[in-house]
Amino acid sequence: MTRDTPLETDGGDPRADGSGTAVADSAAQTDSSDESLLDSSFDVEDRSHASEDTDAIVEARDIDVYYGDEQALQSVDVAIPEKRVTAMIGPSGCGKSTFLRSINRMNDLIDAARVEGELLFDGKNVYDDDVDPVALRRKIGMVFQSPNPFPKSIYDNVAYGLEVQGKTDDVDEKVHRALERAALLDEVEDQLDESGLELSGGQQQRLCIARAIAPDPEVLLMDEPASALDPVATSKVEDLIEELAEDYTVVIVTHNMQQAARISDKTAVFLTGGELVEFDDTAKIFENPESQRVEDYITGKFG
Amino acid sequence: MGNESFDADLTRSAHGQIAKERLYHWLLFFCAALTVFVTVSIVVTLAVDAVAFFRQVDALSFFTGTEWESSRGTFGVLPLVTATLVVTAVSAIVAIPIGTAAAVYLSEYASDRMRSVLKPALEILAGIPTVVYGYLALVYLTPWLRKGGLDLSMFNLLSASIMVGIMIIPMVSSISEDAMSAVPDSLREAGYGLGATKFEVSTGVVIPAAVSGIFSSYILALSRAIGETMIVVMAGGMQARMLDLTNPFANLFNSGQTMTAAMVHAVTSDATGGTPEFYSMFAIGLTLFFVTFSMNLLSNRIAARYREEYQ
Amino acid sequence: MATTDESTGSWFGADGQVSQVRGLLFKLSCLGATLLALGLVLVFLLYVFNDAVQPLTADTGWLLTFVVTLVLPAVAVGVYYYTRDTRAGEVAYTALGLPVATTLLAGGVVITFEHIVSPHAWFALALSATVAFGLVELHARTRTAGALERLAVVVLVPLLALVGVPGIAVDFPVETPLLGQELFRLSFAIPELVPSLREVILALPVLPTAAISLLLTFTLPIAAAAAWHVRRVRESDRDGAIAGGATIVAAGLGLVAAPLVDLSATTWVVLATVVALPVGLYVESVVRRDVGVSGLAFPVVVAAGALIGAFLVDALGFAGPDLWLDWDFLTSPASTTPRDAGIYPALVGSVMMLVVVAVAAFPVGVGAAVYLEEYAPNDGLLGSIVDLIEINIANLAGVPSVVYGVLGLTLFVRTAGMQSGIVMVGGLTIGLLILPIVIVSAQEAIRGVPDSLRQASYGMGATKWQTVRNVVLPRALPGIMTGTILAFGRAIGETAPLLMIGAAAVVRIPPDTFFSLFSAMPRQIFAWSKEIETEFRYGVLAAGVVTLLIVMLMMNASAILVRNKYQRQN
Repeated sequence: MTRDTPLETDGGDPRADGSGTAVADSAAQTDSSDESLLDSSFDVEDRSHASEDTDAIVEARDIDVYYGDEQALQSVDVAIPEKRVTAMIGPSGCGKSTFLRSINRMNDLIDAARVEGELLFDGKNVYDDDVDPVALRRKIGMVFQSPNPFPKSIYDNVAYGLEVQGKTDDVDEKVHRALERAALLDEVEDQLDESGLELSGGQQQRLCIARAIAPDPEVLLMDEPASALDPVATSKVEDLIEELAEDYTVVIVTHNMQQAARISDKTAVFLTGGELVEFDDTAKIFENPESQRVEDYITGKFG
Repeated sequence: MGNESFDADLTRSAHGQIAKERLYHWLLFFCAALTVFVTVSIVVTLAVDAVAFFRQVDALSFFTGTEWESSRGTFGVLPLVTATLVVTAVSAIVAIPIGTAAAVYLSEYASDRMRSVLKPALEILAGIPTVVYGYLALVYLTPWLRKGGLDLSMFNLLSASIMVGIMIIPMVSSISEDAMSAVPDSLREAGYGLGATKFEVSTGVVIPAAVSGIFSSYILALSRAIGETMIVVMAGGMQARMLDLTNPFANLFNSGQTMTAAMVHAVTSDATGGTPEFYSMFAIGLTLFFVTFSMNLLSNRIAARYREEYQ
Repeated sequence: MATTDESTGSWFGADGQVSQVRGLLFKLSCLGATLLALGLVLVFLLYVFNDAVQPLTADTGWLLTFVVTLVLPAVAVGVYYYTRDTRAGEVAYTALGLPVATTLLAGGVVITFEHIVSPHAWFALALSATVAFGLVELHARTRTAGALERLAVVVLVPLLALVGVPGIAVDFPVETPLLGQELFRLSFAIPELVPSLREVILALPVLPTAAISLLLTFTLPIAAAAAWHVRRVRESDRDGAIAGGATIVAAGLGLVAAPLVDLSATTWVVLATVVALPVGLYVESVVRRDVGVSGLAFPVVVAAGALIGAFLVDALGFAGPDLWLDWDFLTSPASTTPRDAGIYPALVGSVMMLVVVAVAAFPVGVGAAVYLEEYAPNDGLLGSIVDLIEINIANLAGVPSVVYGVLGLTLFVRTAGMQSGIVMVGGLTIGLLILPIVIVSAQEAIRGVPDSLRQASYGMGATKWQTVRNVVLPRALPGIMTGTILAFGRAIGETAPLLMIGAAAVVRIPPDTFFSLFSAMPRQIFAWSKEIETEFRYGVLAAGVVTLLIVMLMMNASAILVRNKYQRQN
């Protein structure tokens, strides 16, 4: 895949990511001029396969999530297509991470969290009583905001999922393949016995990705996977995500609209209050959103 | 992708695994529940035999009697209670000022290097077995005090209580220091910003802000003093004596028997199961348990309050 | 305030003096209080130490010799470390402490093989356990059968190997409830059907000698673990093999060389395994990391000074001090004559009691902590029960130890019918006593494990138990160990509960099973404190107290060592 967006728009500081200044600046000049308000500032790649929708693998139907008395998500409906990259964007606290975590029931780990509605994975509601969240998470991998390798060797990190899932045959081969897919094998081939904590931040995050794909899940959830990385590491992770979409369904939460525009096929925009405002092809969202609020958000007037 | 057939169904996680998870869950739960069992069995064992004791001995005379002569069948608990109070009071006089001052020093004045030496040293003091403290009181402190001109008998409550005081200093100082260290620096800076001296900040800002934590350390330490056994058994003697208000020093200079010492006495003397002397142990133990348990409860409540304030 | 010219001129000046003096006085009195608390006990302990070793009874020449050969060089090296090279100072601290601590541990192991499991019993136990484990593994590799078959193998094979099919003897009177009238007596006996592999091994006509048994089943596994560790850190198979081989050779040398230095071969094997191996590994790690290597000189200086000093005083004929705390004291039983009195049976009793305490309190304590931190729900009925449990644990930690003694007496002796004053009752009672401390410290350690690791593990589809076992516990283990060792330090000094459960004042023979009568060090000290003779009071008692304190300090120091190593890693 080609990349012609200059990296500086990603911002070196992970906390102050692209939703702020860079977008606002570019938007200021395009705003008044013409209808295609974004083409100069966002680089929405032409992804030919994106136009043909595949079947939805994850489908949310009227999902509400509460933390105690507070409502974090309001009746979200979304259908995430198979083997595509779907991005969730929105301002802080808009519930996009909450939605991601309700897909693999990580919210179960928070006592006060309560989910209502249906969330279908492969046509089965994952909140049915007979669903084992552990079995669910074995089919849905997850990568977290900051790299969190275990204090174990690189090899053991990647083999961890295989071990806990009881896939104990051909572990060596699977570990190598996962590291290769995560574009990390060349860098760490000689140091598989060393601690995963000795790698750099970007390498750690790719290690976490390798760890997540080693057991071969069907869906890969990524919760702002690049927000704690420097620009170079970010670009590597982004390349990787695009490649992974050939085999996996990727759902990625990001603060960074540039990133969403670059790598995703579909984009969901959440706005304050846990409301899913618009969900459509990425190109459509960034070039011609239906909702005025989404337009305001993307052009930096709000959020 | 590859392994699609491998547990394709979300509900079918291997049955053995779920059973295993359940097993571990319950096993661990029982570990935690065991602690409740300990408390309950303390209460039950003490209560059952205390009831047996009160069948043989009149409860009113037990709680109001001023004479404890277990071998002759006289069971008035007041001499034991007053001796315990004397020990607690004297040890508090020793431990509270020293412990609090040490806490202020460690929290406000000590350099990092100083603290890294003093804190472990105090921790080690806290780890010295009480039988050693008892020995120090009996073999060294009492003779020294005698040489200093005090008219002490060989077993006396004074050196026992001083030693109990020394023993609980680390408790006062470490918990108080935690409380003072938890006071946010912004408060201190506010004090300095108003032109206060370090002394004024320590006494006027930090100590009042940490007062609930400091109090909880006092209560905890006193509860420890009430329950302390070996020091008073070894240095305080085994003779129960009613508090003599007309001659306060005599109480300290002579031997006396605290509640804990009486319990040890009831077991180590030749009293056998079934006699009132043996059962008296349970009545005292029950009293002791409730007193210390409620003091600890109070202390934890107070401590929880300061934790809420600053976290 | 300062408006007039005079006072603005001196706003930083003299009128602050009163408050400065007051502040200084306050600071000094706080420092004084801290030092007083420490100093008081220090002075007392110096007196105890003085009474225990009586250094002033030695010839002046003896003292001078050792000052010159031992104290001065050690102090000089210590000052050098403190001022010039603090990393070397840390190395010196460990390098001196490790041999001492491991020697103590070796003493414990020797006592264990002497009194608790004989080397042959251990040999049989270890061998049959290995065979059982091998069979289970073999089964898992060759047959990926159903869970049920696997469960059966996992349960039955070890059972057959270690226990066999035991004979059953039942003799149980069936009574009418309340009246206690015997209806009939259920009584039958089945002879042992299948002896366990362990018993078969023990009954073999030819068994290796005790030392060889230990070499095979004690040194060999530890050497293998060391070899694996070295191979890992040095990334060299050869170095690993050397480490393992050297350990076995060093231990095996004892079969030949031990009589020459007046040790039994088993003692040599244990020493080589428990002392020489860790010290060697530590030296290797210091050299490999190349930080503070000069610290390794410290123990050499101390040992050489002691040897040279000993040689000199012997050659010059200086008499040493009149020790109370000497080898005889550590290895003799109690006696009514102060000079003959020793602490050996009580020492063994304490060690055995600690074994019971560890086995009883550690798993339960850690289990409870894991439940409370990882499993317990925060809301609902169970949530409030859990809150109650937490409050209860905090309060149990403050219940007087004498009350635990009463509990132990009632629970284990009067209710469960065990004999009073045996090791098992003492260990269980003190285990209950330290349980809350173990739980609270384990909880703290578990709370210190970053949540992101748990999330990562759950996100991988790990179950709760898998997460706990693979991620949480390994990470929390150093913290748990620190807290637990400190709690064991408390356990070894507890006296009042031992009085309550009737631990004997004086025991002449060390206990040989966990169901024998025993005395423990603090119990023995209490017994001596009742003796009237001054030689008991100022001699034997002091020696006993110093022994107890040294054991305690060793435990505390090793806890601090674990903590420091762990803190540096994070």
